[in-house]
Parts: sequence; C-alpha cells; structure tokens
Amino acid sequence: MNKTQFSKFVEYLLKNNNVIAPQYNVEAKLIIAELKKTSDFYMGTELPLDSWKWFLLPPKQKMFDYKGEKMTEALPSVKKQIFLGVSILDMQALTLLNQIFEQDPYYQEIKKNTIIIGTSHMPKDNFSEYFAKFEENKLEHLQFDIFLAVQNGGYKIYTGSEDGQRFLDNFKYKDYKHVEYAGPIREEGLDLQMVSVMDGMQNFHDQKIWDDLGKRCISCGKCTIACPTCFCFRMFDKSHLEQGSGERNRCWDSCFYNEFTQVAGVAPSAPKHRLMATTAQKIYFWYEHHFVRTPGTYSLPGCVECGRCTRACPADIDIFQTQRDILAARNKKKEK
Amino acid sequence: MINDYQTHNCKILKVESESSDSKIFTLSLPYKDFSFEAGQYVMASLPGFGEAPFSINSYFNEKKFIQLTIRKVGVLTSEINKKKKGDIIGIRGPYGNSFPIGIAKGKNVLIVAGGIAIEPVRPIILDAVNNPQKYKKVFIFYGCRDESAMLYVKEYPSWKKACDLNVALDNPKSKKYIKGPVTILFDVVNIPTDSIAYVCGPPIMYKFVLAKMLEKGFRPENIFISLERHMDCAQGVCQHCAIGTKYVCKDGPVFSYAELKDFKTWLSPI
Repeated sequence: MNKTQFSKFVEYLLKNNNVIAPQYNVEAKLIIAELKKTSDFYMGTELPLDSWKWFLLPPKQKMFDYKGEKMTEALPSVKKQIFLGVSILDMQALTLLNQIFEQDPYYQEIKKNTIIIGTSHMPKDNFSEYFAKFEENKLEHLQFDIFLAVQNGGYKIYTGSEDGQRFLDNFKYKDYKHVEYAGPIREEGLDLQMVSVMDGMQNFHDQKIWDDLGKRCISCGKCTIACPTCFCFRMFDKSHLEQGSGERNRCWDSCFYNEFTQVAGVAPSAPKHRLMATTAQKIYFWYEHHFVRTPGTYSLPGCVECGRCTRACPADIDIFQTQRDILAARNKKKEK
Repeated sequence: MINDYQTHNCKILKVESESSDSKIFTLSLPYKDFSFEAGQYVMASLPGFGEAPFSINSYFNEKKFIQLTIRKVGVLTSEINKKKKGDIIGIRGPYGNSFPIGIAKGKNVLIVAGGIAIEPVRPIILDAVNNPQKYKKVFIFYGCRDESAMLYVKEYPSWKKACDLNVALDNPKSKKYIKGPVTILFDVVNIPTDSIAYVCGPPIMYKFVLAKMLEKGFRPENIFISLERHMDCAQGVCQHCAIGTKYVCKDGPVFSYAELKDFKTWLSPI
C-alpha cells in the first residue's frame, strides 16, 4: 500500500468509525486521542507519551450498580473503536493485557469492540533485541487486526483477524497476507533478554542496585501510569446521594503508594500493617512484577522496552540502565 | 460472560459475640453446592463499604452454612459487626488453595496460631474434633494478647477432647494461662518434631515461630503457613498480594515454608 493509498485508507476508516491515533497536541506532545482529520495522524518512530491501555483499561471503571443489597453488573457501553498506528512494542503490551484480562468481562467488552492496526515502527532509542529488526514470523505471536510493515514508499499489509480482512475487503484492497495467531508464546521459547534479566533478579540479587534506586526514586508512581504493561487496580464503592444506592468501581493503583500492601491493624485506631515500608522495597516490587512475575506467570515479557517509564521519571531513573546493571551484576557473580 | 466479581447474597443466620471485639457470623450458603476446603477464604462485602478477604472458619463438611469470624479493625469490619440476624452480606468465592490436611492423616499435627489468626485453622481443629481417629495427636499452640482477645473459648472443652490445647498470653489477667509469646510453648510442651505443622499469625509471629520450629528440628516442607495480604480481585490480577512469582490470593494463601523461604519478599520485601 503506497502512501497515497494509505491516506485514503485512513480517510475511509475515519468516515464511519471512532479512530484513536497518535497525534500532536497544542503543546507539541505526542498523545493518543480521537482522530478528527487525516492530516493530524502521526505515523513514525516516536512513541506517544501514554499507552493504549487508557482506552482498553480505563483509569476508572464502574463494575456494579447497587441498590440495597442488589448488585447489578454494569458493563461499559462502548462504541466500536479503531486503534490506528500501534507500535509493535505496544502490540506486545496489548497481547499481554489480553492474556491477563482474558476472564475479565469489563476488559473483554471493550476489547471485542476494538480493531487494532499496528505498525512496525520502533522508537529510535530502543532496548528490545527481539523487535529491533522486524521479521514477518514475529507477527504470529501478536494479537492485531491489521498490520502495516514499513517498507520503501509505503507499507506491506498483513491481517491478523477476520475483522481485519473484512475492513480491507470493504476498502477494496486485496494485496494483503493473513497471519494466523499462534498463541502468545514463541517457538524458540521465552525472550532471551527477558530470561537473562529474570535470572539476574532471581539468582544474582545485588542489593546495591535496589538501595541506590531506593534513594533516587520519589515513589510518585508516574512510571506506573506511563507503563503499557502496568495494570494493577483497586476496587472501591461510591455511594450515591439516594440512600442505599451507589456503585462498585475499580481504578488504577500503583505499587508505589503506601496503601498498596496495607492490611488491617489490631483495632480501627491501631496503625495499619504495610508490607512494603521502604522505597527500595517498592521499586524492587515494581521491577519484580515486570521482569520476574509476569514472565513467570504468562511466559511473556512484562516489559516491552518502550522506555515510557524513563521518560516519565522525575528522578531520571533509566529502566534500560537498570537492566544493564542487573545483567552486569549477574555476569560478575557468574564469573566468580 | 461469567463475572467472577459478582457477589452472592448470604443471609445472616446467627450472630455470636466472640471476644471483646469480634463476632461469629453464621451465613446461609452463597449458592447451591457451595463447598470449600480448610484454609480457603471468601471476599465478603457490604455495598458502599467495599470488600475484604475473610477465611472461612466453619467445618468444611458442614453443608448447611458457613461461618466467618470478623473483628472490628476498620470501616468494613466495623459495619459488618453492626449487622444482625436476617441481614445480608455479599460473598464471592471460595478462593485460594487449602491446608494439605490429607498428608497429616495418621500423623501428629501441630497448629500454631496467634490472635485472630486462629480462624483459618479452625476447620482443621473441627475436623480433628469430628474425627478423633483421623490424626495421631493434635497439638494447638495459641498465642493471644489477653483473655478478652481469645477466640472460640466456648469450644475449648470439646477441642480438648481431641487436641492438646496450650495457650500463652502476653498479658494474662489470671494464672490459668502461661505468660509470654506463643514461642514459649515450644519449651513447655514436648512436641514431636515429625508433626505436620499449620501456622497462621500476624507477620511478626512468623519470624520467631519459624526460627523456633527449625531449631527444634521441624522440616520446612512440613510447615504450612497461611498468609494475610491486601487483596482486591482475589484472582491473581490486581497485584496487591504478590510475593516473588506467586500470588497469595490464587497460589496461596497457604504455602509450605520450603516454598516461601526462597522468596526474598514473603515476610518483608528484600
């Protein structure tokens, strides 16, 4: 598909759909928002500030309405939406979220109304050995509907679902290849880079790395908001003015907040027990989630190396550097 | 799509005051064919006040009702404690794994509990009471603040028929009980170290109890610990209860000490 055809395709998508796409805002920041006109659409190597999770796993979501003792499920009402221009790194993040929330009716309600159009664009400064070079066979482990592989003067088009095929057929575009989703786990097994970092954290623990990070980190939680694979949430009830009615909600949480591990004390007035007391413990927990727990549970990378957390961090903590430090400590201890 | 966050309304059949600030709530079954195993928990909630995990502490072979013992420690528990017979509590579950009691058949059993944490092990005690021949000998080491905080006191006569019950109190008001932490009981009672041990208590208790048990010669794989954590989803998604690669809500709450000691973060992170 050449550039002219592609512009027409974007116009075609915009005509009847709610298209969400990267675009610059008035402050010249690349954001993801509803696309109003084709010319606003940004397609390139820069990654938007926030990730696509905002549209699949909204920061606050109603789960139930209650009246008296009756809890009624409140699924989100979503109109069909198209994610246009999702970087391959973000596709990996979405594939992980799809796994984690496979039993979650709220996530699934939004997901089934979402079309994902990905691209092979990668940020210039990247740390992903696996995605640094795009190869066709990498697509079969990612969930998407349409994929645009960048090539000279345009895009090579792939489809990853019947929905994707239908869109292209209706647009009267035939020159695409279909890739059948083969599950999230690659034939060659776990991501090698991920395995090394996981091994470093689990078997070659270097306390100094975490003590240093603990001193720099200010526990603001911005990284957890920026991260495309941070998804933890808490649930809370909100009463309405009418007595006995209200809603049960969930909202994003952050493991950097003090209340994250809080359990009851011995009495209402007694101090609460918090299982993570220091910043070093919190930041270790965050890294452990991404580099140990997620790969351990889902056999998928818990970090897609997008670097958004580094960009968001006011204390200049660089996730790529931390990984280099973990790997260096591992190599050093291995040599001994 | 099945929504696992949907609560089931349970009617309160009976409320009994237990200790100075706790009550036992006997509830109708959340749904037909509800069954659970010793050590599992449910999420209990009141609309407007949120949800929290509570161990089921009735006998697991009892098919007509379940019981939760709830101490007033916060907003939700204080509100539940105001509830009366006939009121409704929302329940979902049961969740988590259970104490492996099958392996203790014909063997000595040691139950170590601190304060309110005797709840999750009560089903094992009730099992021993109902099947006196099932286990060789059952020892209970129970540590508590003082007499007013002790739970299930009315049941002690029946427990004593099947178990060797030993209580240690931090501040005993009478001379009936030993003064000191629960670890003191290991030096008072001669405990067979081949016992299968089920342990539950506040985080501070584990450090001392486990050190004592290992010193006495207990094997880590024979010690089973039930952990308390902050939980929201109870399905291994929300991350609050995570330790190492495991989720206390889904992979736990019961872990053997052999499993736990490899985690840097189970007792206090790194």
